[in-house]
Amino acid sequence: MTDLVQNVIDGLGRGSIYALLALGVAVVFGVMHLLNFAHGELITVSGYAAYAAFSNGWSWYLVAPLIVVVSVVANVVIERIAFSRVRGSSEFTQLLTSFGIHFLVSAIFLMYIGARVQTFAEPSWIADTYSLGPLRVEVFDTVVIIVTIVTLALTAAVLQRTMFGLALRAAADDFDAARLMGVNSDRVIRGAFALSGALAGIAGIFWLMRAGHTSPSSGISPMLSGVLAALIGGLGSLRGAVIGGLALGMAEVMLRTWLPGTAAALTQGVVFTLIALLFIFRPGGIVNVAHAERV
Amino acid sequence: MSSAGGWARKRRREAGLLFSDPRRDVAFPLAGGVVLFAAFVGSGLLYTAVVEGAAAEKLITAMFIDAVMVIGIQIYVGNTGVFSFGHVGFGAVAGYAFALFAIAPDDKLTRIPDAPWGLVDVHLSPAAATAVAVGVTLVVALVVGIGLGRSGARSGSVAATVITLALLFFTHEVATSWNDLTGGERAGLTFGIGDTLQTRTPIYIVLLASIIAALLFARSSVGRLSHAAREDNLAARAMGIDPVVQQTLALLLSVAVVSVAASLRVYEIGSLLPEFFFFNYTLLTLVMLIVGGRNGVTGALLGVAVITAVRESARRMGSDGYEVFGIGLDGNLDWVFREGLPTVLLGLAMVGFMIWRPNGVLGDWEIDAWLSRRLVRRRPPAPAAEAPVPEAVDLRAGGVSVEFGGFRALDDATVEVSNREIVGLIGPNGAGKTTLVNVMTGIVKPTAGEVSLGELPLTAAPSHEIARAGLVRTFQNLRLFTSLTVRENVEVAALVAAVYRNGGDRASIDAIVAGAGLWDQRDRRAGQLDYGNSRRLELARAAAAAPAFLLLDEPTSGMSDAESLAMVDSVRRMAAAVGAGVLVIDHDLNFITGICDRVYCLDQGRVIALGTPNEVQADAAVQAAYLGSAASNGAGTP
Repeated sequence: MTDLVQNVIDGLGRGSIYALLALGVAVVFGVMHLLNFAHGELITVSGYAAYAAFSNGWSWYLVAPLIVVVSVVANVVIERIAFSRVRGSSEFTQLLTSFGIHFLVSAIFLMYIGARVQTFAEPSWIADTYSLGPLRVEVFDTVVIIVTIVTLALTAAVLQRTMFGLALRAAADDFDAARLMGVNSDRVIRGAFALSGALAGIAGIFWLMRAGHTSPSSGISPMLSGVLAALIGGLGSLRGAVIGGLALGMAEVMLRTWLPGTAAALTQGVVFTLIALLFIFRPGGIVNVAHAERV
Repeated sequence: MSSAGGWARKRRREAGLLFSDPRRDVAFPLAGGVVLFAAFVGSGLLYTAVVEGAAAEKLITAMFIDAVMVIGIQIYVGNTGVFSFGHVGFGAVAGYAFALFAIAPDDKLTRIPDAPWGLVDVHLSPAAATAVAVGVTLVVALVVGIGLGRSGARSGSVAATVITLALLFFTHEVATSWNDLTGGERAGLTFGIGDTLQTRTPIYIVLLASIIAALLFARSSVGRLSHAAREDNLAARAMGIDPVVQQTLALLLSVAVVSVAASLRVYEIGSLLPEFFFFNYTLLTLVMLIVGGRNGVTGALLGVAVITAVRESARRMGSDGYEVFGIGLDGNLDWVFREGLPTVLLGLAMVGFMIWRPNGVLGDWEIDAWLSRRLVRRRPPAPAAEAPVPEAVDLRAGGVSVEFGGFRALDDATVEVSNREIVGLIGPNGAGKTTLVNVMTGIVKPTAGEVSLGELPLTAAPSHEIARAGLVRTFQNLRLFTSLTVRENVEVAALVAAVYRNGGDRASIDAIVAGAGLWDQRDRRAGQLDYGNSRRLELARAAAAAPAFLLLDEPTSGMSDAESLAMVDSVRRMAAAVGAGVLVIDHDLNFITGICDRVYCLDQGRVIALGTPNEVQADAAVQAAYLGSAASNGAGTP
């Protein structure tokens, strides 16, 4: 029982980061039906920014906001340069565009900074734990969970209480109808990318704290987690994305604990298989969002 | 003797179904394949003749093998429009299977002494190991294919992308983690010096065979039906195509080719590491596929050649400075020409092509289709004879109700049509006309009521089965197969009739195209037609499916008076040519009066009037419904 609760707490810590990434993917998918494989590159970009800042003697308290700002700016710039030009194209085209950007960004870092992994100091408290009854809880996980809850609450408030939020939810529900109702699609899409960038930035802070390094290919794994979690939840559903992120985090932690010896090394592989199975039997994800076609 | 003759006839008929026009579908692909092969291999050999040396030889060998790989991917992605990240993952499965069976036991003892299933002692010739690799990978492909089919893979479908992506990561994960089997991430598997591929002959054979196989597949009925589903899944289903079968066949052929390519690649490199078949190779092969044009084999090969050339020059300029063909480029371009440039260019090519030319340089251009258009002249056919009058059968939708949320789109509506008549369906906007047709064709499930064709119940059957039973529709908002030619659009429909309904023969395709007044446009892409011709093509395509009933949703929408008058004649002729009854929705009362034997009027989901066009027009309830007065609540309804 204690083990289970311990696993749940570990899973929540890991899953919170995934949830933030997935929510960013879902927000963008909602407004332009783009499955953004370039999402993880925001972490690569902000990782290098963090590295540069650390080289100049910045502390984590300054670097953390910097990561969010860089991530927002990068996402808006990528939207302006590339995604705005394939708006309304087939899903195939949009998907490959994001896939291309993913490669392009990492190739540029590879070309100008090199393949070498750039390390920086993790915060001193990263490995600290405290006991809670029989449980050992990481300070880091606690911070992650609290920040995630606050972020989600803020996001929910933005989506529920502001005009931008209303426009964004309307656009996610039925983009054409929202446009006909006078929603400025350009501004909503740009706003969605900024929001998505901010969420990726907050996830990025923790991702980079935990990793303690960055490299040209460090975007792959957050990209996969974010995209997969969004898909598990049901693309386009914002609530589903959060559920999907938490589910993915839990699944990884639990499988790693429960799988026997050699198979434990294959945790990631088992997770992929489970996800493929989920898609075979429930193509719409956990929260099914109907996208009926009008004929 | 007679049974042998019967067997031969049956074979011929089946072959006829697979390739409807032997000259166009077999001879030209064979010829085109040989031409492509000669041009591609020739350009490679020309390069090695000009730039001598082992490095150039190696580059060109790799290019030939990449070509096989890319053609393999093209067979699936190009024909089905389903986007796959997973083909390089299939390549990984095949590559490891090949290596495990082909490497000598001595070498395996040093690398993977603990390999499971007694694999250490197995030693096959490269050819046999390739066969095993293909077999093993096909089994995996079949499982994945069934999964894709279940997930309802359609062109552009996200689910398919995720499943194939999961495959890529799964194989990579196994390759890096299962050290006993694969040698792990760093050590990998090696053949040992002198045991690598020494001659190009097997590569040539495989390349030629895969080019021809890909061209033939695209021209086969399987290929043509999957093109239709690629262009418009819903319209294809409404015509009787259930693309799962075609997609699975495309996947199997494509994976077979990919497996051979992967085996060759491993054999040629002489070693195998997990990263050989992962993201970077996925990027490379995908860019090769999209730059030339993913819909054709010619495009795929062009992409392989162009990207190989670009990468090689970028690599040279990156590492040796930027002296090209003896011309030194002066200036401070160091920031561009440096190591890593090839990968940056690949990324740029992918993004750039998606933004400016998503269908690649060649788009839908294909060598055999071009040759056959240039070399074969078709004469306009004789007008289609009227079909013999078929057995009488009724199409009946009885007591149909449909609710969308709280909105009642249809309310206990009953409509009957015989296949000897043309029946109109009119009513103000939102009356439920299109919904009724959607119910009849299985696109919308009714809340209550039933649909039957003669004795055959069709309620809530899948669209493609309804179409195969004989109900074929057109769409209010045109749904043509836009990148197929006019004739191909009609041909696909005739093919469905031939494969699933034993009707329709080849001679009639040209007659139908000509009958619709589209003979001069027959080789144009449907997407390039003007509006009136697009409408005419939709009608012709539906008629070519030789249905028992044609359901036409606003065939004259957006047409001028003169055009819709001509449409009266067109619809009559088409219906008579295939012996079909017609149910037609339209707003143009002149058209309806001109063509219909009987007319149903719907309002707010109910049938409010039924009779000859003149009777219905004179009906008070109908007039009230159109004028939108309160009278529709009672006055005329019994």
